[in-house]
Amino acid sequence: MFDINWRGLLLPLAYLAVLTGTFVTFSTVYRRRKAFQSANLAPWFGPHLQRNIYLSLLHMEPEEGSEKTPKVPDSVVRAALLRRAVEDINRIIQIRTAKAACSSLLQRGSVGDDLWQRFQRAEKEMEDELRDVVMEANALVPGWGQIIFQSANEIAANKVLRDRLEEIEAQRESEKEWWEKRRAAIRTEFMKELDNESEKSSTRPSTSSADEPVLVDGSSTPSTPSGPKQRKGKK
Amino acid sequence: MSDQDHFTLIPLAIDPESTAICPAHPSHVSRALQAELEALNNLHTALKALDAPLPVPPPPMPVNPKRSGQITKAREAGNGEYRKQKYDGAIKLYNLGLSLALARPPWEPSQLVREEVHALYSNRAQAHMQMGNWPDAAVDAEASVAAKSQGNAKAWFRRGKCLLEMGRLQEAKGAVAKALEFEGEEKELAELLREIDARIAKEGASA
Repeated sequence: MFDINWRGLLLPLAYLAVLTGTFVTFSTVYRRRKAFQSANLAPWFGPHLQRNIYLSLLHMEPEEGSEKTPKVPDSVVRAALLRRAVEDINRIIQIRTAKAACSSLLQRGSVGDDLWQRFQRAEKEMEDELRDVVMEANALVPGWGQIIFQSANEIAANKVLRDRLEEIEAQRESEKEWWEKRRAAIRTEFMKELDNESEKSSTRPSTSSADEPVLVDGSSTPSTPSGPKQRKGKK
Repeated sequence: MSDQDHFTLIPLAIDPESTAICPAHPSHVSRALQAELEALNNLHTALKALDAPLPVPPPPMPVNPKRSGQITKAREAGNGEYRKQKYDGAIKLYNLGLSLALARPPWEPSQLVREEVHALYSNRAQAHMQMGNWPDAAVDAEASVAAKSQGNAKAWFRRGKCLLEMGRLQEAKGAVAKALEFEGEEKELAELLREIDARIAKEGASA
């Protein structure tokens, strides 16, 4: 009764073995590839230069030839931490502006899932970064953690304002040059018109120029040098 | 920023006298690093000049009233000169106020800087306009609206007016149209727009 026909079962067993083997292989390979991909997703932000500088200052290595590690003054370390906080503020602003756009694009399916993953990872890293900065600040000066980001925020905003103002100031010289040229051109043109007008009026009385105020002005005051000034004064 | 536990060590050196940070191997340094180190050293110098109980910048508010007072004084003196029609003197005083306002330490409230700077630029634009100095006035007015674009109808008006005087009708029209977006229906601006449109129509007819 219990005499199992092993030979007859061989085929189905082999079939099952092959089937599970395939599944297992597929799933491990697939998962490994997926993990590899997500680990290799490009980070949202480039390298954090300010953070690298700050940490490099804390880990200064002795110069070649000398054994002593150079001593970095605390004031420099504080300045470097503040620079790091300023860069964090810039990144937070970027994340906040990107968030709404990103999520709506994701909902519409316009962007892939990996972009969203990259974004979420950046957000999480940013949180850790902020916590780290606050801790470092409190370690350097007690109580600084509460205000470092306020200061950093103003530094970032002031930078934006000053850059914009500098950009506008930079146009000043070229604008002036342009205006000098333009004024010279207007002046010569005006002189020419005046000359034409005086020629015309000397040959025949002007009848057609009644609808052109500039020419009328010119004919009424034939003294040429006062022409442009008058025109300017009129405005 | 790959991982919170790792960082890239940047070879840096410190100048023992000035305590300025500089790259250890100055021969091959990226421009970003150079700019960042310069910003760091500037901030460090600014921090050293700090006069506060703690060695770090105080919270943005409240502001030290000394500088604000100086700036207001410079602006009011400038306005006085302007009323006496001494436009040169007025411009000099506005320059003084501007340099004071822009020399505020970077951690002081940027909103305050905007308030101060926009008034000074706008007044200086007006003084330049009185002297027929259109390009300077146009640049000042643009700076003023860049510092504060809302509730700054005067500066918008001056910008449009200067561009109109220089014969840049399309630009003037663009500026005034933008101004109307920010300011709503300001009477003077609407009038200026009509004036510009009339000029454009005339130029179009004569061309």
